[in-house]
Amino acid sequence: MKRRDFLKQTTFASGMFFVPQFLKAFEQIPTKTFGNKKVVIIQLKGGNDGLNTVVPFRNDIYYQQRANIALQQTDLLKISDEIGLHKSLVDLQKLYDNGFLSIINNVGYPNPNLSHFRSTDIWQTASNSNEYLQNGWVGRYLDYTKANPTKAIEVDESLSLLLKGKTQNGLAVTDAKTLYNSLKEPFYKSVINANTDAHLNEHNLGYLYNTMIDAKSSAKYIFEKTKVKNASNNYPKNLFGKQLKTISQFINSGLDTQVFYAGLTGFDTHANQQNTQARLLKIYAESINTFVEDLQKNNNFDDVLILTFSEFGRRVKQNESKGTDHGTANNVFVIGKNLKKQGLYNNLPNLNDLDANGNLKHEIDFREIYATILDKWLQVDDAAILNKSFSKLKFV
Amino acid sequence: MKAKHIQHLYNRVGFGITPNELERLSNKNKREIIDEVFTNSSKTSPLKADISFLKDIKPGDLKIKEKRQELQKISRKKIQKFSISWMERILNPSEVFREKMTLFWANHFVSESRNNILFTQNYNNLLRENAFGNFRDFTKKISKDASMLGYLNNKQNRKKSPNENFARELMELFTLGQGNYTETDIKESARAFTGYSHNFRGKFLMRKRHHDENEKTFFKKTGNFNGDNIIDIILEQQQCARFISEKIYRFFVNENINKEHVAAMTAVFYKDYDIEKLMRFVLQSNWFYDDENIGTKIKSPMEFLAGIHQVIPYQFERPKQALLMQRLLGQTLLRPPNVAGWKTGRNWIDTNTMVRRLRLASILLNNAAITYSDTGDEETMLTDLTTKKLKRKTFIKTKTDWNAFEKNYKKIDNKGMISLIISSQINKGTAQMLSDNLDIPKKDFCVQLMSIPEYQLC
Repeated sequence: MKRRDFLKQTTFASGMFFVPQFLKAFEQIPTKTFGNKKVVIIQLKGGNDGLNTVVPFRNDIYYQQRANIALQQTDLLKISDEIGLHKSLVDLQKLYDNGFLSIINNVGYPNPNLSHFRSTDIWQTASNSNEYLQNGWVGRYLDYTKANPTKAIEVDESLSLLLKGKTQNGLAVTDAKTLYNSLKEPFYKSVINANTDAHLNEHNLGYLYNTMIDAKSSAKYIFEKTKVKNASNNYPKNLFGKQLKTISQFINSGLDTQVFYAGLTGFDTHANQQNTQARLLKIYAESINTFVEDLQKNNNFDDVLILTFSEFGRRVKQNESKGTDHGTANNVFVIGKNLKKQGLYNNLPNLNDLDANGNLKHEIDFREIYATILDKWLQVDDAAILNKSFSKLKFV
Repeated sequence: MKAKHIQHLYNRVGFGITPNELERLSNKNKREIIDEVFTNSSKTSPLKADISFLKDIKPGDLKIKEKRQELQKISRKKIQKFSISWMERILNPSEVFREKMTLFWANHFVSESRNNILFTQNYNNLLRENAFGNFRDFTKKISKDASMLGYLNNKQNRKKSPNENFARELMELFTLGQGNYTETDIKESARAFTGYSHNFRGKFLMRKRHHDENEKTFFKKTGNFNGDNIIDIILEQQQCARFISEKIYRFFVNENINKEHVAAMTAVFYKDYDIEKLMRFVLQSNWFYDDENIGTKIKSPMEFLAGIHQVIPYQFERPKQALLMQRLLGQTLLRPPNVAGWKTGRNWIDTNTMVRRLRLASILLNNAAITYSDTGDEETMLTDLTTKKLKRKTFIKTKTDWNAFEKNYKKIDNKGMISLIISSQINKGTAQMLSDNLDIPKKDFCVQLMSIPEYQLC
């Protein structure tokens, strides 16, 4: 029996326990696969103004509350008799027309927190608003599936809470080559190869060696698997476009990654909102559309679901600086090939029924969306990962 | 005292020790050395920001939106500078143990004031001043600190609409730990903290008309309690002394709790909540010097950066790169992730931070390039996304004081350096590799020692 086969069989026969962790550096031991479905999570950082993204152009309250910044009917891309998309979303409308987009309105959580950072934490950890969790829901997905770090990738330099689990972490990569090269030096090679201790994971030193070895094998895996694959050249030339390009390269190269995370920054529009938001939404829509086309060309779109959220929406009433302040419930976009519910998932917010701060009330808990993705798309036990059972939606 | 034990002591109460200091102390006994550690930290040197721009500000100015925003903008810049000077202080401390304790408390009484340099400075110095003080007074001062009143919304806590945020975290994170109180305790104590506020200079104010003067029932006691009374009642619970002792133990001794040791600490601390007495007890204990506690703790990013500095002093030519370093290693001072603070121990290490740590010594000491991209956080407003570089490659420029290194390690050969730089056991294969490399130049050997996984432990 070849050593490689032996290792694989041992893994399957007895679990990972008897195979020293450090052997991962020499052999890619496949972890149990949970299907090949992928989720791309995108955060519009800063709190996108959902009300000026999906606009109720027949609503008088909307125009009363937003004298300077309300979007006029003629400026909108109509998707129904009452609702229009922001004019920058031409490319998103294409997806909408093809039935690839589901817009879920009024998504939030009870007792909303209006701090960017706290609310981002809440979305990333899937916690209650008065609960401080130290790991993200994707991290807990990695725990649950006992996955390699390459199963969840954030296209950034440092790893968000979202991808940190109790025992497993995802990986932050912007450029597989740099990561690969940083540990390629002969010195690290000899540290890794010289490592002979067979009882590594029991103490902190073992944990450190394992992490180093993990880093090296993950970087090697990503680097070698992706170096041949090219992506479309149509991505907008900015950070977000670049992030999506990287993700498409990873997916189209056949990487085993199941969750990707990227973000577009700048939505905290307290002043002179209109131009900023128009520019950002354009970048968003163009990048996403290019990304979807890229996936389609490579026959991978069937297996990818794209989720876009913001840590919160914005106040219904505009402020004095032609901007909007931090709000609460917001719309979430789900993009995919075979959506069960295409177009508008539910009704737009009721502008007559606001909370004490003049903010929208949520109708759908964001964790219902996570639960749906975990249960129906990734097919794992959502309650085990979210620490609680949530009702499921019907978009996939 | 044995050299190994002195080193261990200095790793934990500070950020390492130079060979000369180690030699000087080696003739002294444990009590003398510990006394010296405390004497050296008996003073408090507050960390000062330049807040002269606030001098002529009147309360009314803050009501004008433009003025307020302008002040906040200046404040945010000053807070960055303050963060850099805090790191400089940690790298060059006059009262080293006090600075180490300040880091501990900054991850215990976690607060943040993003837009106000005055509140930030006061909060930071409050931690420093009370680092060895009385925990009872300390907690009461924290409850009245402007930064904390804002961070946990206690200034929005009013009789008519109580806000429970502070009351909850006070018990969950600051004093008792989860599961040691009821939801009713939170509701009742939140009422006791109603009306807490501060003026625009950060001075505590009690807004009487918002304070709930009715009776509250808290931990089975009933009375017209205020916030201080609530803290007194909490401290009557032995669980509070245990909770703090456990946290101290994790930070200074071992991430894995030894129940017997913590019980002994609890007994000492519960008597009068004197932090210095507790710390003396820990450092005097024989178990503090047990092998299982030496070289087994994963360094925090600050311990790691300051530890390198202790051996080879360096300075960032562009001070802002200090912040970049902090961010890339996962601990930006004054920017805790949330009220629970940074997760410590193994949580400091993921594949990304590990790779960075392994390469950091060569980056810092050889002005090497480090690539990073800046995607910006939730508050970032980009004026022009297209001109913003997709990926940045920056050279970390430092002034490295190799002379100090040469001088300090003059009498030490490469072999001798191993035990001075590395406190952990060394993996067999790595030890073999090091002994194969004993003939390389001392500087290179030192950088190698700082680039192995063992160096992450102290």
